Amino acid sequence: MDLLPLFQQLHDSALSEWLRTSLKAMPIVEAIHVMAIVTVFGTIFLVDLRLLGYPHAKRSFSQMHHELLRWTWGAFGLAAVTGVLLLMVNAVTYYRNTALWLKMLVILLAGINMLVFEGVTAKSVASWDKGVTPPTAARLAGALSILLWVTVIFLGRWIGFTKGYDFAIPEDVQFDFSSP
Amino acid sequence: MLEFAEWLGTTPLSVAIQSRLWLTPLLQSIHILMIGVVFVSILVVALRVLGRMRADEPFPEVWHRFAPWFWSALVVMLATGIVLTLGEPAREAHALSFWIKMSLVVVGTLSAAYFGRTVAAAAGHGTTEFSGGARLIAVATVAVWLAIIFLGRAIAYDVEVWGSWHLG
Repeated sequence: MDLLPLFQQLHDSALSEWLRTSLKAMPIVEAIHVMAIVTVFGTIFLVDLRLLGYPHAKRSFSQMHHELLRWTWGAFGLAAVTGVLLLMVNAVTYYRNTALWLKMLVILLAGINMLVFEGVTAKSVASWDKGVTPPTAARLAGALSILLWVTVIFLGRWIGFTKGYDFAIPEDVQFDFSSP
Repeated sequence: MLEFAEWLGTTPLSVAIQSRLWLTPLLQSIHILMIGVVFVSILVVALRVLGRMRADEPFPEVWHRFAPWFWSALVVMLATGIVLTLGEPAREAHALSFWIKMSLVVVGTLSAAYFGRTVAAAAGHGTTEFSGGARLIAVATVAVWLAIIFLGRAIAYDVEVWGSWHLG
């Protein structure tokens, strides 16, 4: 599947043009993206820690899951929307950015980890919900989730240093590190 | 101050940071992870003050659960922030966003400490019901940390964000 025509279309859209020329739009969109992703990471991290049995909490897994997940999904939606906006601005260049595709891949892996956990491991939640140490499969899902989301944040930052909003960098340069 | 920052940028330590090209993205990533811990800790504590999360748990328990994470992540955030600033002192010193951000970090930290004091006071009275003032401070603290995140990103766009106010 060749996605380049789609990326070209995104790049040529009026919204993309407006984002490129408006002085204040980009810092605002980027800042909202950071606010959203730190909320995604922080809330997931709390649930993952609970899966790992930390702290030796009185709070059940399903309580934490219930109260935090709406924040995670709300922030994830915001991160996705602002992420697409950031992508549009320089879509054709991002299309060739390895860090960006790696980041998408790792988000996909985090999603699969979540689906496996929700679909298989969490089915038996009643038997370990209040226990200090959840079963191995649950702890594994928690550890994997932390690892994958930390990687997402690192790769996200790496995109900015390999190909960001700086049009002066030639497209074929892979690791330039000179832009913010 | 700007001259000092420019001199700082020529010191061996700053040059050493600048010349290790992988260091800045690495430290920035850790910096962002830490603000995730700081922000969500503050968010949960604030939501508890408003009675919107963990309302079944006494406030001191919620505070003692999150305070160590808040303070440790804050320390790592400050440490990575200091090294990042040493790596490009002139860029930071020239950015109005940087100075406002630093002021707000002080406000956001004092504001978090206020909740810690509230716990001690409440433990004495055996109550953890919060006044309108405390609720307002909870909302304001979350807003201050959101502003800190915004300003952190805005350092790279000082002219665009501040127009004629930027420090040049």
